[in-house]
Amino acid sequence: MNLRWYHFLLWAAFAATLMLMPELVSKGTLRTMIFACYLAIFAVSWDLLSGRTGYISFGHPFLIGIGAYTTAILSKRFDVPLELSIPIAVVVTMIGGLIVLLPALRIKGSYFALVTLAYMELIYQLTQVVRPDLTGGTRGISGIETLTRGAVNGYYLAATLLIILTIFSWALMRTRIGTALWAIGMNEESVRGSGLSTTKLKCFAFLASAFVAGLGGAFYVHYLGSIAPRALFDINFLFTILVAVLIGGAGTIIGPVMGAFFLVFLLEWLRPWLPGAERYFIYGLIALVIYMYEPKGIIRIFSNLLGKLRGANK
Amino acid sequence: MKYIKQSLFESVVTKSVTASFAVSTALFASAAMADIKVGFIGSLSSDTGLSTLRGAEIAIEELNAAGGVMDGQKITLVKADTGEDVTEGIKAYEYLAESEEVDFIISGSIDDVSLGWLPRMQEFRIPTLDTWTSYIGIIDMVVEDREAMAPYFMNIASDEALATLYINFGKDVLKDKMGFNSVVILAEDTAFGEAITGLVTEALAPVAGIEVADIITYDINTVDFAPIFSKAQDSGADFIYQVSSVNSQVMSSQYVKLQVPMAMTGVNVSALGLEYWEDTGGAGGGISTLSPVPSVGFELDPVSQAFVDTYQEKYDSRPVVPHFNGFNAYHGLKQAMAAAEAAGGFEAEAWSQEMLKQDLVLEKDGKLWLRYGFWGYDEVEEVTNRTYPHNARFDLTAPYDDAQPSMVVIQWMEDGKPGVVYPPEYATADFSLPSWVPAK
Amino acid sequence: MTQIIIQGLLLSGLYALIAMGFMLIFSIGRVLNLAYGAYLMVGGYVYFWVSQQLGLPQIIGIAAATMMGVIMGLLKHRLIVKPLKGDHVAVEISTLILAVVMQAGVVLVFGDASKILLPIVPGVTQIEGAAVTYNILVAAIISWIIIIGLYVFVRNTYTGRAMQAVSMDEKGAAISGIDPDRVNLITWGISGGLGAVGGVFFASYTQLSPTMWVGPLIISVAIVIVGGIGSIMGTLIVAHIIGFLEVIVVAKLAPELRGVFTMLLIIFVLVLRPQGLFGREEAH
Repeated sequence: MNLRWYHFLLWAAFAATLMLMPELVSKGTLRTMIFACYLAIFAVSWDLLSGRTGYISFGHPFLIGIGAYTTAILSKRFDVPLELSIPIAVVVTMIGGLIVLLPALRIKGSYFALVTLAYMELIYQLTQVVRPDLTGGTRGISGIETLTRGAVNGYYLAATLLIILTIFSWALMRTRIGTALWAIGMNEESVRGSGLSTTKLKCFAFLASAFVAGLGGAFYVHYLGSIAPRALFDINFLFTILVAVLIGGAGTIIGPVMGAFFLVFLLEWLRPWLPGAERYFIYGLIALVIYMYEPKGIIRIFSNLLGKLRGANK
Repeated sequence: MKYIKQSLFESVVTKSVTASFAVSTALFASAAMADIKVGFIGSLSSDTGLSTLRGAEIAIEELNAAGGVMDGQKITLVKADTGEDVTEGIKAYEYLAESEEVDFIISGSIDDVSLGWLPRMQEFRIPTLDTWTSYIGIIDMVVEDREAMAPYFMNIASDEALATLYINFGKDVLKDKMGFNSVVILAEDTAFGEAITGLVTEALAPVAGIEVADIITYDINTVDFAPIFSKAQDSGADFIYQVSSVNSQVMSSQYVKLQVPMAMTGVNVSALGLEYWEDTGGAGGGISTLSPVPSVGFELDPVSQAFVDTYQEKYDSRPVVPHFNGFNAYHGLKQAMAAAEAAGGFEAEAWSQEMLKQDLVLEKDGKLWLRYGFWGYDEVEEVTNRTYPHNARFDLTAPYDDAQPSMVVIQWMEDGKPGVVYPPEYATADFSLPSWVPAK
Repeated sequence: MTQIIIQGLLLSGLYALIAMGFMLIFSIGRVLNLAYGAYLMVGGYVYFWVSQQLGLPQIIGIAAATMMGVIMGLLKHRLIVKPLKGDHVAVEISTLILAVVMQAGVVLVFGDASKILLPIVPGVTQIEGAAVTYNILVAAIISWIIIIGLYVFVRNTYTGRAMQAVSMDEKGAAISGIDPDRVNLITWGISGGLGAVGGVFFASYTQLSPTMWVGPLIISVAIVIVGGIGSIMGTLIVAHIIGFLEVIVVAKLAPELRGVFTMLLIIFVLVLRPQGLFGREEAH
């Protein structure tokens, strides 16, 4: 695992900061942070799968959506209690993860990205056409049972989930499996050459990613209280997740979390000044410029700054 | 016509000026005393959203000019854009509720966006008035859970009522006057398409005596409608019933461009605004659609006319005439404030009871023309035999002396002029076939 | 039956034109230009602005749209693709961000409301019982002229052959004296122009709207993926497969499943034959 004392310190500081937020900021800001937490969970999930292995998923909303829709349908249409419907949703999402894995056994890179994009488009169209009595068709489902009420409770739940999932993912990536996944991203053949089963490794990455996506998606829908195909299986949703990861720094777990918070806050801070479509324009431009300036993300910008400071001190 | 000649440059400048103006009003608003805060939720770049926003703005200006409400408090308005996106809609509602702490929310949201933020409304219990979505499912929620939905009102007739009056149009005009006996339904594969199709197919044959020859459901992103129109023609029906709320103008413009030799009527949401003619480059002649009132081509009572005059003086960008929801917002906001005055504030339950009592009757030439009121919990509407609590009052039977009809049928003539063709009490023109369609 | 053939041919011609520009970039740079749909959108809007709002002749509108497309393509190569030094994922992500920015830009300038273009050539005729508008007929004919022109250009000119060479083996091409950077730049320009013209025709079929870039992008992706890398013929054939598939699904099966079959086709082809039906074998 290669743990150091400062790892514990940093994670404790991270958790403490998140947990202290309700004392420090207004309820309106907390609401914004809840969205940031969920986006961060989705970004971490994406990072588990794509950040290291080089299998770029453009269909992540596919997985999140499966989780969200499963528990929404079970609890709303069949009155399944949430304690049961959420675990089922996670399992179903992991099965969905295996479906995404299938093409990954043969294709890579841009091709893989495209198949996953096709998955997302396919499920977008299917949720509207197949069994609209269950999925609610285009209008989706409203009035889904929520886990909490109020900004503070909702925030504690989202933040706790985020902290647990991030530490879980981070620890996972520090094991030998994580290193092997890196190696797949670098050179899959050589990993195979060294006697490891790449299929097993990939299978593991996909399942871990789907687990986080399913859990995040299920809690997300029970926070929102409503679900609609256009809100989930949408290129804009995909866009937010991807940009959060990449602005933050792919392959680092904590980078995507930073990216998610940065983006959500950027969008909300622009609101009072630019209420309309201008907001998305400026938001997109800022994302593009940061990304072009440092494709390795904010985390790299920080570590560079830190490096420079250290260099100046010497 | 004016805005369309506006240069790109000019429009960009106007936008940035508006943006900086918004900044200054925002600053001013936060500096003002504790006043009544109204939140607008909707899209700031669609005609739909702008109609509601501007209707509310004018109502607020008038109320403030008359000395404010509730002991002279002034009303301020905060906007939250949804971009017609469901998640953004939820964020926008939260922003209004928790960052801005508004007292009342007026909404120009589309169906799924409203459904998205409804759980938030139940949580915050902020009195909320919807002016655009007509989804009957929301009214059903009021029926099921009176307490949770107390703060919610919808002042447009719900889609079930819209479809019901259409059956009368089918009987009076399509069957009796035009001699149509069978119909082929072209419906989009959305919940809206499904709901309207269901209502129409169930009632059209038994009530109007029109057989449904075929139902064709199509994908909303269909590029080429030629095969679909061929299929419709093969069904041998007398006319096409279009059910389209998304990208409606793609289908209707291809209908016009292909000169499909069958009459087509139904629901075409894009044809509801006065910009339709310009947006379609004129490829919209002969198209008819149901429309909530007041629609394009609808004659106005003096009060509503005065509203439109103020509107046109104040705004010179599209929509040049507010859509129906602009009227709903204008009258509805005033009613919401009157209800708050009577209830002594915006506490959901008390406000809700007072809002139910609001009743505004607008007359034209001594006849009831428009009525802004709401159905009570136990009032059963006679034709559909169900209740519509918190929904706008409508009247499904001539001579419409209880309220206005739930909808009218409008038709865009081939010269680009829209007219109301049904019901006769409100008609300004006759229903006619496009020139390329042979009479039956 | 004849109706299906006529409608299928017309739609497929349009799809082929749309996919060509996307295929060029994918073949030469191996990158997915996810902002490709935005060329179509901007092309359509520029045409609308010039010919419908300013009232200038249509040919000027088309020329302006093409010019705009070429400029966008060139700028994109210089400002995005080149600085990212061929990092595929980075290019794909940044073009996706760019597409979303451009969508917001269009909303800002033209608003949200969809617009229908006036027919480029008005009128309608009946061919074998199928109604065909002159507009679509002209669009299909022009598509074919452009596609044939492109084929001749790639086959018979120096630049065209250089493009082929770079597409097959960039290093090899560089050794034999071709400047891959220049070839790339030219390709991005041509691709932008093709996209913009395609956009004018696509919009004249359907509508102008700020979200119109997604649909044609997915169609292009489907065609190019199924067709395989570097084959104009492959693109042409698959455009017809997808065009006809759509028309047949709509006319004979279930019109609401129009898009579902296209997606299934992509998934199956990619999983079973990753190099596409007509493409070259690629080592990832």
